[in-house]
Amino acid sequence: MGLAAVAMVAVLSSCGKTPQVEIDAANAAIEAAKTAEAAVYLPAEFAAVQDSLNAVMTEIAAQESKLFKKFGPAKTKLASIVTLANQVAANTATKKDEVKGEVANLMTSIKTVIEENGKLIPKLPRGKEGAAVIEQIKADVATVDAAVVEAQGLFDKGAYMDALNKINAANEKATALNTEVKEALTKARIKF
Amino acid sequence: MRLKKVWKKRILFAAILALIPLVIVLLVWLVPQPPKGEVEYARLVISQATSNSAAIYSKKLYGEAKAFYDSAMVNWNKENERFIYFRNYEKVASFAELSAKKAEQATKVSKNNVTDLNILLKHKMDSLNKMVGMINKYFTAYPLSDEVRNRISKGKMLLKESEVAFKKGQFADANKKITESELLLTDSYKIATTSLKEYFNSYPVWKNWIDKTIKESRQNKSYSIIIDKYSRKCLVYLGGVRKYEYHVELGKNWVGDKRVRGDKATPEGMYRITRKLGSNKTKYHKALLINYPNETDKEEFRKEIAKGTLPRSAKIGSLIEIHGDGGRGIDWTEGCVALTNSEMDVVYKIASEGTPVTIVGSTVNLNQLLD
Repeated sequence: MGLAAVAMVAVLSSCGKTPQVEIDAANAAIEAAKTAEAAVYLPAEFAAVQDSLNAVMTEIAAQESKLFKKFGPAKTKLASIVTLANQVAANTATKKDEVKGEVANLMTSIKTVIEENGKLIPKLPRGKEGAAVIEQIKADVATVDAAVVEAQGLFDKGAYMDALNKINAANEKATALNTEVKEALTKARIKF
Repeated sequence: MRLKKVWKKRILFAAILALIPLVIVLLVWLVPQPPKGEVEYARLVISQATSNSAAIYSKKLYGEAKAFYDSAMVNWNKENERFIYFRNYEKVASFAELSAKKAEQATKVSKNNVTDLNILLKHKMDSLNKMVGMINKYFTAYPLSDEVRNRISKGKMLLKESEVAFKKGQFADANKKITESELLLTDSYKIATTSLKEYFNSYPVWKNWIDKTIKESRQNKSYSIIIDKYSRKCLVYLGGVRKYEYHVELGKNWVGDKRVRGDKATPEGMYRITRKLGSNKTKYHKALLINYPNETDKEEFRKEIAKGTLPRSAKIGSLIEIHGDGGRGIDWTEGCVALTNSEMDVVYKIASEGTPVTIVGSTVNLNQLLD
């Protein structure tokens, strides 16, 4: 009878197979979302998918510990994780495009402001080259130019989020400079 | 007898049948239970830590929590590979417990760090913006080196970038940028204030000249002119009382005394008007020529030549005037003092040959100025 019981345990405990194919599919879908930079553009959504997989893996391990295994619900959950991860990857691509577009728009608008600044600064009173006010404006203009180059470099590398922060700051600064130069020209009674 | 045997067999069969579920129950009951609850809890608190950005603001603890969780899962799977009744989940439970503990700490530390960083960043932004305000107020028109100007510009840009990151809740990035900004701005501000302090060492001398000039105006009930270079003011006194106050523009190197011809500096000293030049005698609307260089200036110039701080070929400046054509919002003269034409008309009218013109770095001391 003892032998029979052991044989029964062996048979019963080997019932139900780990859903390895489904686990691999879920891992692959999450990896794809990661490659799409979901952690950068949609961090909360990406973390939620990862957490869902961790929860299912706990459930699978718990089933593996049982005498009578049942992987049906885990398989269903793994299938939803694949769907969710694919959705996050798709949403990431959309978000990335949005940020890219925003950076591109800011790049265009800042170039317009920089061009205008470039035309206005030489109109500041002549013969005062080296004057402190102009020197500071020139230094600020050079810093904005450098920030735009840096932002362009980040944009070209596909680091749109970093580029967005940089170009936002540069844009604010360039606009402030434009106002400052226009005020100085107005004060000096120079038409622009 | 045969019937008795049959019954015996039936009873035995029934007993075996009754024993099977008992054995099954016993077998199930004997299976070691994994610490599912503990592992689940660890996962939940790690998830909370992730939501609280512990990966950024409590990196070490968060990393440890995740490592312990991974160890729990690895050990759990390893135990599951053993024969069911030989499994031991103690290590799994221990790792899960440690993981949860670290994750709880990570959440707490992360929350505290975010709160502290938020306060710190706001404070730093306020103080750096104030510093930028001070730089703009006191040093925009103050001659500083290109290097200092560039550092100020970079510092201002980094401050702006920090503010952009802060608005998006990216406190770690904001902190990185503001630290770089702080270094650049604080350093530049220190250099600029040191230079200003050195310049203001001459204040006692200026104060003496100012007092003498006002005293003369009071005693003679006459007009006296004081030029305050730092605040860009032309102060006209009558009978020792300030009557007019106008904004002036100077030479680009206005800090310090004039030393040599062409240095674009406005001299400092006690002078007098030597000649009035009407609109037909100057290209700057109207002008009042002063007696620069006076004897003191000539003596200083000779001393500098003798000491070798000026080349032997250097020539002393001349033709320093108060003139019109000002109001450009910038220091543009070769060392003269420029007023707007309408204000020049007033000063030209009240001035005569011999009217005192005292030019000083500042009419107030540095502490009053910075206050």
